[in-house]
Amino acid sequence: MNQRAHATSVLAKRRILETLISPGYYVAQTIGLVLAYLLVAGFVRAVDSSGFNYTLNPAYELIGRSLVGAFGATFVEKLFSEGPFLFTLYIAFLPVLLYLAVSSVFRFGLEKKVGALELLTYGPADGTSYFLAALIKDILMTAIYLVVLLLFLFIAGLLNNLILGPSFYYSLVILFFLSIAIYAYGIFASSLTDNSASAIAVFLGLILFFIIIMMGSFTVVSGYVRNLASVLAWIIKWISPLFYWDLALRFVEMGNWGMYFIGVALLLLLSVVVLFISHLTIKTRGVRA
Amino acid sequence: MKVLRISAALLLLLCAGVLFADVPVREEQFIYSILAFNGKDYAGTFARKDADTVYLVADVDNFLTVRNVFVYFWPITQDWKTDTSALNIPFEGTLELSGREAEAQMLGMIPYTYYNIRGEYELNWKVAKEAEAEAAWQHYQELMDAYWQSVSAYYEKRALYEKMLNELTVTITKLRDAGNDVTALIDTLKELKAPPEPQYPTEYIVPPVPIQKAFILNLPVGEYQIRFFTQDGKIMEGSERRIVVFEKRRAEAIGLEVIPGDKWTRPVESKTPSSVLYIDGSTDLYIRPFYQQEYNDLFYEKMRKNDAKGNPNLMKWVRIQQVPRARVEVTRQAAETRMVLEEPFYVEQAKGAALGYQIVPFDPEGKHKDREPSLQAFHIPVSKDQRVIRLRVQDKEGQYLPSSERQIRVITPSRIGIVSLILAACPLIAMIIVMVRRSRRYTS
Repeated sequence: MNQRAHATSVLAKRRILETLISPGYYVAQTIGLVLAYLLVAGFVRAVDSSGFNYTLNPAYELIGRSLVGAFGATFVEKLFSEGPFLFTLYIAFLPVLLYLAVSSVFRFGLEKKVGALELLTYGPADGTSYFLAALIKDILMTAIYLVVLLLFLFIAGLLNNLILGPSFYYSLVILFFLSIAIYAYGIFASSLTDNSASAIAVFLGLILFFIIIMMGSFTVVSGYVRNLASVLAWIIKWISPLFYWDLALRFVEMGNWGMYFIGVALLLLLSVVVLFISHLTIKTRGVRA
Repeated sequence: MKVLRISAALLLLLCAGVLFADVPVREEQFIYSILAFNGKDYAGTFARKDADTVYLVADVDNFLTVRNVFVYFWPITQDWKTDTSALNIPFEGTLELSGREAEAQMLGMIPYTYYNIRGEYELNWKVAKEAEAEAAWQHYQELMDAYWQSVSAYYEKRALYEKMLNELTVTITKLRDAGNDVTALIDTLKELKAPPEPQYPTEYIVPPVPIQKAFILNLPVGEYQIRFFTQDGKIMEGSERRIVVFEKRRAEAIGLEVIPGDKWTRPVESKTPSSVLYIDGSTDLYIRPFYQQEYNDLFYEKMRKNDAKGNPNLMKWVRIQQVPRARVEVTRQAAETRMVLEEPFYVEQAKGAALGYQIVPFDPEGKHKDREPSLQAFHIPVSKDQRVIRLRVQDKEGQYLPSSERQIRVITPSRIGIVSLILAACPLIAMIIVMVRRSRRYTS
């Protein structure tokens, strides 16, 4: 156990260093922050004497109309009721989340395919310590980016007399735990497959499936489609990180902090379960492609 | 000749568009006509053939009738409508109501009326059934009869008054022309007073509707099934529907209706308790606090209009009624907290080429004499220097109302907005520094 922990620590340090010296992470961060800048600036330009009116800014009009069409006016009203930051947080977080998750899945698949992973396991490391190291790197990089994003949005708020509302802070915390569960699914997809392409396909397929099921029950559609999505969602929700994210946010909206923390704990539990299944898969299938 | 033929053909083609204009297809359908209480008033909707569910608020009286009407889809407003002018056949019979935890019960049609009596603000709805409905309707009729009688008496007195006025004026003119003294007659003319106009009954805001018969559903939260039995005891085909009865999730919150000084016809509502009102500070605000209740978005929208869309996973705040005799505490940066009271205002058309409107304090003794105020609201002066204004609502007893705190923030596009863009590029700068340092390390 100590040997595995030591191997994990060494591998994680190496992975963190590699991420910090390669351009990908910085580019993803810049894309996220530029998106955040554009969204905040657009919001400021869409404010008149009666408040925020998305029709005043062409970009926001497009976003607003699409969101109203898909999720209804109440959704949009709630999304922007505290200002632009809730929407901005999710949009600005996506590039880094996708970069970290996909790059880890890709690298896992690639190193499995070329035999680098097998080579590692001849030494003190094993498959589990390898994926745990990748997870630690992703968690740390996510935490760094969330802090950077928080600082950036705080400064943007100060410059424009905007505030980061309570929903922003709840979402920021839950987003961190949601990303851990997503990285765990990335590891699971990699452990199931033999190469990068299929690992990425399985991972993106899984995440898309969760999103579609979630959106299906959330979207403003009537009759059969929503009923079908609701039934599917009920079956799938227990393994979907999006369900626990939604659950926690719904309860905290009502001021139920206990259930919010239970939602966070359930996200962590889901991550642990998915990682344990990945551990068993690697143990059974081995690390050879 | 050829040109003429072509022109005629083109004209015919153009007319074809008018001749074959898209007429909505009307279909005879069995529908449930629903008069549902939505938390603040009664509104009508209908459940057509394809609508399998009817949504109602729990523990209040809702009225259902069944009928055959023409139903059509109106593409301009994207909704379903009924054409009752051509076909409207109401059915009498019984309604079977069954629930998961309750035995099926047969409901008969009950005569009813509903009305809103004048009280403190708007929420004073009453429902009267059977004999009580008869009495309420009778009372209203008596009130109206008395009013019309007094109107009739008024017109008689008015005619008499005008006749006397006329005669007296003619007599005075004649006597004055003849050089006689008319002082006494002028005094009589001055003492002559027009009869007072009778007041329209003010007891009701919405008077009782004529007595009708309907199935009255006042149910606790849950899911139920209904089907309609005709008078000969047969089930009406296609009358099965599901009833979803729901209730508010929360009620302990205050919303604000915000009327900008330059757009008084387009008020906005601040309903989410944590919401912030961002404005550009170009005009003062007039606000009105109201009680609100939180409902499921889909259920509430469907209850108001059965073919509406909504989001089943979201809750929405619904305005119920204005907070009676409220006070608003206004706190500004570097200024003392001030209590603002509700005041009457009058909306005047702005003079000059700019047009638009202007909200001014109501002056009942001066230029607004004999007029009604356009709105009663709390005036919140706004300026671009005051960047944050905090509001808090008190009730008539001076108690702070829960979830009534709001912030108004004046947004002015930042001249140093470019700073944010430079900050956004910081990771790229960090990347360049890392890359340069590494390349130097390996080249040296």
